[in-house]
Order: sequence, then structure tokens, then C-alpha cells
Amino acid sequence: MNVITALAICIGKLIARASQLTNLGAGGTWPGEIALRLSPNILSSLASRLKKGVILVAGTNGKTTTAKMIQIILEQNGNSVVHNASGANLDNGIVSALIQKPQADWGVFEVDENTLPVVLRQVTPKIIVLLNLFRDQLDRYGEVDVIAEKWQKALKKLPKGCTIIANADDPLVAHLGKAASSRPGLELRAFGIDEPKLFQKKIDHATDSTFCLNCGARLKYEGVYFSHIGIWSCPKCGEKRPKPDVSEGNSPLPGLYNLYNTLASLSVAKTLKIRADLSRFRPAFGRQEEIGNIKLFLSKNPAGFNQSLRTVLELGAKQLLLVLNDRIPDGRDVSWIWDVDFEMIPNDVSVRVSGDRVYDLALRLKYAGVKATLYEHLDEALETPEILYVLPTYSAMLEVRNILKGRKIL
Amino acid sequence: MKLTIAWLYPDLMSTYGDRGNIIVLTKRCEWRDIDAKVEEITLETPVSTLKKCDLIFMGGAQDRQQKLAGEDFLKNKGPIVREMVEKGIPALFVCAAYQFVGHYYKPYRGGPIPGAGIFDLYTQHPGDQAKRLIGNVVARVISSQKTIVGFENHGGRTYLGKNLAPFAKVIKGFGNNGEDGYEGAVYKNAIGSYFHGPLLPKNPHIADWLIAKALERKEQKSVKLNPLDDVLELQAQEYVVHSLGV
Repeated sequence: MNVITALAICIGKLIARASQLTNLGAGGTWPGEIALRLSPNILSSLASRLKKGVILVAGTNGKTTTAKMIQIILEQNGNSVVHNASGANLDNGIVSALIQKPQADWGVFEVDENTLPVVLRQVTPKIIVLLNLFRDQLDRYGEVDVIAEKWQKALKKLPKGCTIIANADDPLVAHLGKAASSRPGLELRAFGIDEPKLFQKKIDHATDSTFCLNCGARLKYEGVYFSHIGIWSCPKCGEKRPKPDVSEGNSPLPGLYNLYNTLASLSVAKTLKIRADLSRFRPAFGRQEEIGNIKLFLSKNPAGFNQSLRTVLELGAKQLLLVLNDRIPDGRDVSWIWDVDFEMIPNDVSVRVSGDRVYDLALRLKYAGVKATLYEHLDEALETPEILYVLPTYSAMLEVRNILKGRKIL
Repeated sequence: MKLTIAWLYPDLMSTYGDRGNIIVLTKRCEWRDIDAKVEEITLETPVSTLKKCDLIFMGGAQDRQQKLAGEDFLKNKGPIVREMVEKGIPALFVCAAYQFVGHYYKPYRGGPIPGAGIFDLYTQHPGDQAKRLIGNVVARVISSQKTIVGFENHGGRTYLGKNLAPFAKVIKGFGNNGEDGYEGAVYKNAIGSYFHGPLLPKNPHIADWLIAKALERKEQKSVKLNPLDDVLELQAQEYVVHSLGV
């Protein structure tokens, strides 16, 4: 390690300490940002010093929960783990985490979809987990296919000996995983659900990858679990869902999407040949987190929102609060709410709406035939003695937590 | 009264909330006891189904999906849509569909991709270093002087030919090309717009204009729609106008 890197780490640590002491935040991005400016290769230098290696988790939905599951599993097996638990998943967030625990055995990092190529230039992971790709924040990320193209290029840089863990049931992700693992020295492990009882009767509108990536023909589904996730095959060229290596596991959290997160983390355990017990898993912040009578279900894109809605209704929710913001972490464009199937909310559920774009949300619900009470002030929307299921976008989730618990994330 | 709405390529050209337009059209019919039916027209649908429709909607797409839909549109559905638009059947073409009803789209790499030539316009991408035109936008419809709001997100710049009128004047935002201050285009009863995804929810007067035109053509008489309670629609519109400091 050269002097500048050492200095960058030192300064980064000081900033992290200062921001925690002054309660300015969890120290999630700034220490890393400044360290990166002082020493642009610091990520590569810090990551290569980890004793056992790096595991990356990428995908539109489920990154935070899956990374936390992997962390827990590794720790159960006596490993020390550094992890960007605050959800700061750009390179500066990963560096911030590494600065604070540079001697760990493993680094487990969730990575933003757009940042994956940047991170893969600096870090050679032992395992990379590809969860799913859904339409999300078009104004920030671009289209699903644009992300997929970036990933395809970036995955070509994966080193020999790396294992790619990919969701077999997402045609696009499975295709990317297969293509990347076709080079010698790379291994693909697929995870997926084999349970026809869980097939969805009515198909979601928001599907992104239902046409064959090889030949362009419309895919045939034996069944769909949600969005474009299911048991698929191409009737024209024969491309089909890879057979899952891991398809069974007990999810500690409700919702089909959490079963996928569970299977992904169990695939990591299987790859490393270690045991895994998630029975005492506690949800990550904002993801099915309970604060008093409030249950928080982060919901930030159509596929995620549909899954959250379905899950809370299955849990018997009688009172919902939906919060829509349009700040930079949410995406400035709120068009996506028209892809969410709010029509599934039954009449006997009382619905409150709030957030920066409360009128857009109320309007969407009006056209879904759902009566909603409009709250211009979020703190008032949270007032109720009943159990309230809150489905907020990202910045709205942080606001809700701020009202209920203060700014601290971890 | 009955109305059949053609939704072109709902599984290929529906990228970010485009479905909102269909929901708004059908609900606003339903609330007035107009029996609206949506025909989903996709790759395998015969053109005979399209021909029976009274109103057309086509939305945005990603490149790969647009290519899939494009082949079918140019060969099969496009010529029919052209005949229908020429006959005065109302239509709404949003984002990728708007580019696609023009003469061609010239990407920054490679030759021009032909369009259906229904609108006298062309689109070109100025190069991979040029910034995408992204953001909330406010404009005023030229014919009615009514306000419209939306969100635009496009790399291509669209230029209208002599035989095509712009739809609206941009008050804040970029519009067709970020240069001439116009947004969208209107030809007979067909509207093209860069306001992507759900254009109609916050601009219900456009939805009603399309519905009225469709009924007038069908019933061969002038139609006046019952007014609806649009307080929420206008509040949502007002929020965008206000947030842009207009």
C-alpha cells in the first residue's frame, strides 16, 4: 500500500467518525468519496487485501436483503464480514465500508446496476450474484436492455475461478449468466423456484423480458411467478430456463421475492460449501422493518410495488399508506405508477396516500377504483393506533424512518 | 354508445406507464356510460381486428422491442394505421411510436431506420455525446390554448416537415428537438407527443378530445361529452406547473 492510499484511508476514517459523532448520517458515502478522490485506485487496493475475497450482489430488487443474508451466513461460519449495510451501493459506498473494516475475511457488497461495470474494473469477485432486472427509474438508469448491455460487457472481465450465481427464472439474467460463464474457468450456478402452486393466475402488466434474447421469438411460460419471472422456454430456438442448482429453502420473510433472495444466498452457501441458517434473520432497514405499529415495505418500481402489495394483502393488511416521492434516489419520473396493479386492492382496505407527488398517486388510485385519503403532510399520514402497512419509495422510506426513529439508518 | 380502442403492441411498446393512457381512455368512457373495449393488437393479431377500431394508441419501446414491433408495423399494421389516420380516426402516438410514424429515425451509428411515413417528420440522434432530453415539461396546446404537462426522456430530436403542424408550444422543457420551442405534432385527428408514458391522466382534456372525435366519426354527428369531476387531475397538473416555476 502506498502512502497516498494509507493517507486516504486515514482521512476517510476521520470523516466517517466525524459524520457519526455529529449525527450527520451513517457515514455511508462521504468517507469513500473523499478517499476515492485522493486515491482513485483505492477500491482495488482495499478489496484485494480482504483475506478471503469479495462477493457482489446486483439486480433491480432484493440487493440489500440478499447481501444481508449472505453476511449473516458467512458470520455464522466464523468469518468476519465487511458489508455496505446502509444501502450505499455506488463505488463510494463500498469504499466507505471497506475503510472502516479493511481487515475482514469477506467483503459482501450490493452494487447499483449502473455502477457494476465500474466496480468490476476494480474488484475481482469470487462470487457474483445476479438477482433480476426490472424496469426502474428510466430517467436515471435507462431501459432494462441498456443495463443488460452494460452488464454483458462488464461480466466479460470476470476472472477465472469466479462463480456466477444467476436467477434461472429471469430470462434476461439467466441469459447474461449463461453467456458470461461460457468462458473457461467460470462456473454458473442457477437458482429458481420449482413450485407450480405458486404460479400467478393473472399476469402482471409490467413485464420486461418476455421475448427470447437469442432469436427474438415470444417466450413460452409453463407458469409465471410474477412480472416476467417464471419457468420459460423459447419455442423457436430451444433456449430455455437453466435447471436450478438451488430451488428449495425456507424464507425468513414473507413474499415470493424474499424466497428468491433466500435461494440466492443459499446458493452462495452451497458454492462455499458452508452451512446456512436464516431462521433468525432480521430484515434490513425499510425492508419489512417494523417500527411500533408501522410496517415498512420499500416499494420503488412496478415489479417491487406489485410484490409488496400482494404480500401485505396476503398478510391481511387493512390499512395502507402509499408514499410517492420524486427526488433523485426515487427517480424524477413518476410515470411508473401506471404500471403498478393497484386495482388488486380490495374495497375493505383503507388507503392513505402521501409524498411529494401525492396528487399523482391519488389520481392513479382514482382510476384504479380505489378510494384514498390524501395527506399533504407525511407525519399526519402516519398517525393511527392501528397496524399501518407503509409502502414508500426510497427517499420516502428514509423520511418515514426519520419521523419515527430519527436519521440513523443502522 | 360503443367504442373500440386499438392498443398497439402492449407487450412490446409499453415501457414506462404507457398503460395509463389506456386506463384513462377506458375509465372516462365508462364514467359516461360509453361502452369502451380495448383490442390488444400485437405481432400475431390479424389486421382485420385493427380495422374495426375507432381509436388508436401506441406507446414507447426499448430498442430491441421496437425492432421486433417495427418489422411487423412497417409490413402489416402500419399501412392500415395510415389509412385509418387519413380517414380521420383519432390516434395518439407517444415517444417511440411518435418517432416511428415519421419518415425515418437516424441513429448516431448506422443508416436511417425507415418509419411508417404517416406523419411528415423525421428524427435524428445527434451523437452519443449529446445529452438526452429528460425532465418534467409544461406546454400549451396550440389549437385550444390549454396547458399540458408531462415527462420527456428522449435522445432523438424530431423535426416536422411542411405538411405537419406542431401540437403545442413548450413553456418549460425541451419538446421535439430542444431548438424550435415546439412539442409534438398533430395531423388530422392524430396526435404525436414526446410526453412519454401516461400523457392523458394529467391532461384529461386530450383524452376527452380523442374520445369525442372517435364518437363523432362513428356516429356521424357532433358529440358533446358530459363533463367529469377533474379536480384531482388538475391538482396533479398544477403541481408540475408549479414545481417548474411556471
